[in-house]
Order: sequence, then structure tokens, then C-alpha cells
Amino acid sequence: MGKLQKLAISDEGFIFDPETGSSFTVNQTGLFILKLLKEGKSQEEIVEALTEEFDVSRGEAARDLIDFLEQLRLNGLLREEKNV
Amino acid sequence: MYKVAVSGINAVDNPGPGVGIAKSLKEGDRELRVFGLAYDAMEPGIYMDWLIDKSFIMPYPSEGEELFLNRLLYIKEKYGFDAVIPALDAELPLFIKGAQYLENLGIKTFLPTQEQFNLRAKDKLPEVAERIGVKVPKTVVVTSYEELSKAVSELGFPVMIKGIFYKAYKAQNMAQATAYFNSIVSEWGYPIIVQEVVSGEEMNVVGVGDGEGGHFGLVGIKKLWITSLGKIWTGVTVKNEKLLEAAEGFVSAYSWRGAFEFECVATDSDIYLIEINPRFPAWVYFSTGVGVNLPYRLLQAALGVEPERSWDYEAGKLYVRYTDDLVTDMDRFQKIITSGEV
Repeated sequence: MGKLQKLAISDEGFIFDPETGSSFTVNQTGLFILKLLKEGKSQEEIVEALTEEFDVSRGEAARDLIDFLEQLRLNGLLREEKNV
Repeated sequence: MYKVAVSGINAVDNPGPGVGIAKSLKEGDRELRVFGLAYDAMEPGIYMDWLIDKSFIMPYPSEGEELFLNRLLYIKEKYGFDAVIPALDAELPLFIKGAQYLENLGIKTFLPTQEQFNLRAKDKLPEVAERIGVKVPKTVVVTSYEELSKAVSELGFPVMIKGIFYKAYKAQNMAQATAYFNSIVSEWGYPIIVQEVVSGEEMNVVGVGDGEGGHFGLVGIKKLWITSLGKIWTGVTVKNEKLLEAAEGFVSAYSWRGAFEFECVATDSDIYLIEINPRFPAWVYFSTGVGVNLPYRLLQAALGVEPERSWDYEAGKLYVRYTDDLVTDMDRFQKIITSGEV
């Protein structure tokens, strides 16, 4: 099971990592992306979903997604999700 | 009804584990009375009569084995009790040595052997770590300034400066390292341990080994907030497989018997062993709070009752220690001062 699958994610955007005991908060957009990542969606599908859900262009959504994924990696939350 | 004696009821800013043990025992499935073994009339546990039913002042272990065991014998003869759970490092060698004598008196214990107890010495950790397949921070044992300065230049700052049994400080420069070195030497003597600082999450495991390589439960915690004395004030349960496997490996490799606290630093890829305490930690009630009543299981094992072994706890449970105050009459204080028991 990937690291992401183990995370406890609340509807308010509180993320708890049961392996490290670390917790994080994300905003509604972050929460939206995390849920899609957990469902196994590809980056393209997530960009698509972001443009449908929020009033953003594809380019902007793609840039934000890359930034967000980088944040997750920095915090050790995407360790095993090499294909994302 | 069981009667159980518990020490370490000094619930102060550097708390002993006794009150947490008593609280856990009271939540077991049998009615029991807890006897508190105190070393000072001011120990708060003496006044917490809803947890500690009766308290006794004990002679310090340093005053000798005979005096100490005689005091236990007196309590046994006058009030009767079935088992004792010692919780302080300084008294453990005495209890371990006296375990057979106590057994003959009908006082049960569930303690590590002397050989197992010796593993707790910090200079033994590299050996333990190697055997169970975890890492240990680079460590140099020193007995002089010259060796200290050599060790520090080898490890680079920051370094941990530790006593062989007690005290640990992080030093950022040579002046601090020397000051901590002096302070530990004057209090606890040589040798001093100089250790690399590993950055990661500080995590501990509390457990009870069954003495045959298995255990009666483990609970992993991450320290969220500690006091200036390094004691956990807030923590969260974690399920870190590598950490729990390391603790199980330790219990299995050494057939550990009794309570223990396994202190580690977990990085992304490794577990570094920092310390093993041969007793319950002061936060032991956390295990009970998440459904794994380790003190009660240890008591059952001591009494020859097979304890439950399931230890499925939830990750993300929060532990918060808090201070409280209580008001009582002077007579409890007077009584313990004048008669040594209340």
C-alpha cells in the first residue's frame, strides 16, 4: 500500500501520517487534489478535474498541481507514489 | 482482591511512572488496592487516595538491600500484598537481586534478569542495535577532556553529551560540551557518552516482554511536545512498522521479561536506537487509554495469569499530560511524616 493510502485525511483538510506522527493542514484545493491522488488519478486527470471544479486555466492548474506535489514530496507524503 | 505495591509515585515535573501504573491497574477487570511506595512525604501520589489506597515511606535503595527488603517484609506481614511493580531505575537492581527472596515471601514480580538489565547501559546499545538490525548514532565513550575534544572533532557539532545512566544534553559548541561534561561528571561520574545527533522523529515504544521472546503488547508514540527536562507532555500514537518490528526484534532476541521503553529516532529509511529503559515510562497510561493496559497485563503475568496479548491500537490518538491541584487536610501529611505510612 502506498504512503498516500495510509494517510488519515479529514474533511476539514487535516492530514495525519500514522507512520511518522506528523500532521499537516491543506486548503480545500489541496484536499480536492489529495482525494483524487488517493483514487489513483493521473496528473492529467487531476488537471482536468481542477479546471472543471475551479475557475482556472489548464496551464495554471498544471503549475499549481506540480507545486503541490512537490510540497507533498518535501513533507515525505509521496514517497512511494513514483508514477504521480 | 489483588493488593499491588507500586513505586515512582512522585508525580512532579519529572514524574515517575507510578501514578500512571496505578491508574492503569484500577482500570483492570479485577478490583484491587494499590500501595504506593514513596521516598518522600511530599510525593503527590501519597495524597491521590482515589488511585493510591495506602502509602509507605521506603528507605532509599542506597541505604542497603536489607533495610529495603525488610521494609517490604513489614508491609507484607502487616497489610499483605500480592505483587510489586517497581518503576524507578535506581531501585531496579535491588528488586532484581531480591526477586527470589520476595517470591519466597509470596510477593510476585515480573522483572528482567540482571543480564537483561545490564543491556540498558548506554555503552551496550551498539551491540543491541547490531543484533536486532537497527542503527545507533555514532557513539564515543570518553573519560577525559582530551578524549572529549577528540570525540567532538570526530563527530562534529551538534553532539549529545550523556551520562552512562542519566542526563543527556545537546551541545552546539565546545564550551557547552565541556560544561555539560563537567556537570554530568560531578553528578554521576565517568564515563561520559558523546553521541552524534540524528535528525528525525523521536519515537518511543512501551511494551511488556513475556520472558520467552514474545510480548503482551506494544504501543508506539511520537513525542509532540516535551518539557525542559525532556519528558513527554504531549504525544500521538504512531504505527511505524519499522519501529514496532525493531521493538519486537529486541524482545525476541533477548527474551526480554517485564516492562520496557524502547527509545528511538526514526528517519525516512532507518531506525536509530537511543535508549532502552527496563521499566514503564511515566506516560504508560497512554497505552491503557488506547486499549492496551500494559501495567495490568504485567500484573497478571506476575501473578501467573495469562494476560491478553492483542495490541491493536489506533494511530493518531493524542496524549496530553496536565497538572492539577488538590486540597486536603494536614493529617495525611502529619501521619506519613510521623509513622511513615498513611
